[in-house]
Amino acid sequence: MSVIEEICGNYPEGFEKLDISNDPNYVFVNDPSYSARQLFDADGNKVFVNSFIECEHYVSGGWGFSPLKNQELFLQDIMLYFIVFGVIVSFLKPKIKEFFQN
Amino acid sequence: MTSRKIFFYVFILILILLPWFNTDIQNDYSISKVRQENISFYEINPCKISLVQFIGNNIESIYQNHYYFRPNNKSPIQCFGRIAGVAVMQKDLETQFIISIGTNSLINLLFQGLFWVFIFSLVPKNKKPTLSKNKFKNLAILMLSYLFAFSIYAESRFYENNFYEFNFNDFKSYLLIFFSCFLISKNLIDMYEERSENLINFIPFIYLFTFIFSGFNFSLLAIVFLYLGLISFFSDEGNTKFNILYVFLSIWWLINSNGSFYFNVGKLRGFTSSVYEFNANLFWIIFFYFFTRGIHKFYIENKKYLSLNSFTNNLSITSFIVLIFGLVSSNVPLINFFSYYLFGFQRYGVSSNKPFAFDEFGVKISWRGIFPSSETIGEFYGFVILILLFWIIKSEVIRPTDYIGIFSASLGLYFSDNRTAIVLVFLISLCYIYLRFFKEFINFKFLLLFFLVFFVGLFMFLLSSTSYEFTSSSIISQSTAFQYDNIYSSYLKLLNSRQEKSSLFSSAFGLFSTIGYFLNRSEMWGLFFTRYNPTYTELLIGSGPLNFGQLYGEVVINDPESFLLPHSSLLSLVVFIGIIPLTMLLAVLAKNLIRSKKNYEFVLISVYILINIIKNDSINYLVVFVFYGLTFLILKNRGKSVFSR
Repeated sequence: MSVIEEICGNYPEGFEKLDISNDPNYVFVNDPSYSARQLFDADGNKVFVNSFIECEHYVSGGWGFSPLKNQELFLQDIMLYFIVFGVIVSFLKPKIKEFFQN
Repeated sequence: MTSRKIFFYVFILILILLPWFNTDIQNDYSISKVRQENISFYEINPCKISLVQFIGNNIESIYQNHYYFRPNNKSPIQCFGRIAGVAVMQKDLETQFIISIGTNSLINLLFQGLFWVFIFSLVPKNKKPTLSKNKFKNLAILMLSYLFAFSIYAESRFYENNFYEFNFNDFKSYLLIFFSCFLISKNLIDMYEERSENLINFIPFIYLFTFIFSGFNFSLLAIVFLYLGLISFFSDEGNTKFNILYVFLSIWWLINSNGSFYFNVGKLRGFTSSVYEFNANLFWIIFFYFFTRGIHKFYIENKKYLSLNSFTNNLSITSFIVLIFGLVSSNVPLINFFSYYLFGFQRYGVSSNKPFAFDEFGVKISWRGIFPSSETIGEFYGFVILILLFWIIKSEVIRPTDYIGIFSASLGLYFSDNRTAIVLVFLISLCYIYLRFFKEFINFKFLLLFFLVFFVGLFMFLLSSTSYEFTSSSIISQSTAFQYDNIYSSYLKLLNSRQEKSSLFSSAFGLFSTIGYFLNRSEMWGLFFTRYNPTYTELLIGSGPLNFGQLYGEVVINDPESFLLPHSSLLSLVVFIGIIPLTMLLAVLAKNLIRSKKNYEFVLISVYILINIIKNDSINYLVVFVFYGLTFLILKNRGKSVFSR
């Protein structure tokens, strides 16, 4: 699952990416069937997006989850690496013991 | 003790204490005291100060029992060991402070898991080093880790309330669970193999350490038995007839798993499904199969190492520690929290610190201490008294620990107010003394006649204060009281129609109802029949092991004031496996009892357990299921009793 799908939901059928950046007059239209989402930038600024196109545009530009959620996901990643390291050590335990005993 | 060992224990102690010092070091907070009028500091600053800082500023929270420390499993990783919030509640005249402590479930899995592996390491090692070279070892650990990760997926509705920012649609999230379980299992199994010979004698300690992960519907104890079950399966051991029957039943249970009924696992956590759905049913079917096989394999592998001296000693020590921790934790809120968290209980210890208390009607209030159920811990205390009696008579010596065991178990049994267990302990003790010492002097048939007359007399006496007509209809009248509008469960319909049509059925159910009335089970069993809505096939072969979802979700009823379990393990088994396999199970038990009739200890303990489980949910608790299963296997011996070796 891509970051965009994770944050904004599944791509709508027949979705076509528009070049919004080059159109200064572009106005995002609210999609009543889309549940609004709150996005955050690196400085903690918030924005509400009301359609998939708007959400996709912001996420492509670097906006994303709340800092708290990002931190949690980061810590979960760290935890995963730590655990995998622990698993490797568990398998090497007899050899490590042997090494220190010698 | 070598200095290396001391260093190791100090290191472990530091590791256990360290998380509770976790604080926000970037800011300096002026921490305020918790007061009834003002808890704003804790509302403004959730997850900022550590538990230790909180205690430092609220010393009285350690000993005043209107403070309640509660784990908050749905808190961020960063919040682990910190104060996630404080709430004030007014209950009658008491102002209660609920202090929520951040205990992230994923961290719990690692922290509790590794702590319990350390607890396992305290069991003495085998005489000869026996690290297994079993070719299936890693495969079995891999599979049980996969099974555990699958359980998170299958019971995601339960875990949504316990995990913080866990993406149930992301493979990586399950990878984290899988590897966590793998790490714990690998180390646990290594520990187990180095200590397997002694563990059978340490089994009573499972009443102290339940090993259920906070925020999970899974126990560390299950890892050992699942592992052994998988090894037994790969090694092609076991009973073919049982396997064929189980596969046949499983196919039906899975085909039948339609619908989705949620069940609040409560105090059965770790040994019951939280939802009746296909995936959850699949998980619990596999779990139950390997788990029971694992218990059997554990017994077969280790039975030769059973030492009654050590086993009875550990029974005494366990009953003493369970009682003492119950008393301490009901007086010291902080110990209440840590006993729940570090022993891995399903439920917090009781907050009432008056184990001798009576209610306004002069009825004793049952007191459970740290164990989740007063009735079940009462059963355990009764069991301890009986086994110690057998042991003392056999060995003709009373050790200091026996005094401690008998004293703490007797006190615990009184506190628990399990009257059935009290009466059974008394009667079984009399029976045992007769069988051991007076069998030659008093005719057995005369004694049988005496007991028969005694019980019939007791029955008549009980009925003298109330009419049989009333008692025989007590369950149906309770069922009708709980029945909602025009919605009838299929079993209640059957009861009502058969009551009118068949006099035999009516008489049999009337007797059952009367027994239920005198066991104080009319309400619970009545409630069960209001809910129980099986098809004919479900009645015959059940709807899957360890799954109450369908029973509690299918039929709308007038809800009772509090959540009530069926209060009979037999009724639970009717729901799980149906009446045909249950009858077969009872026939096997009866066959074993008849074959081993000279093994008095086995027969008497089996009767004690059987009567208790008829009127209690005992075997729905993981530790009780394991303990009763192993006790049955240990005591069962056709030729000689383990007490006469």
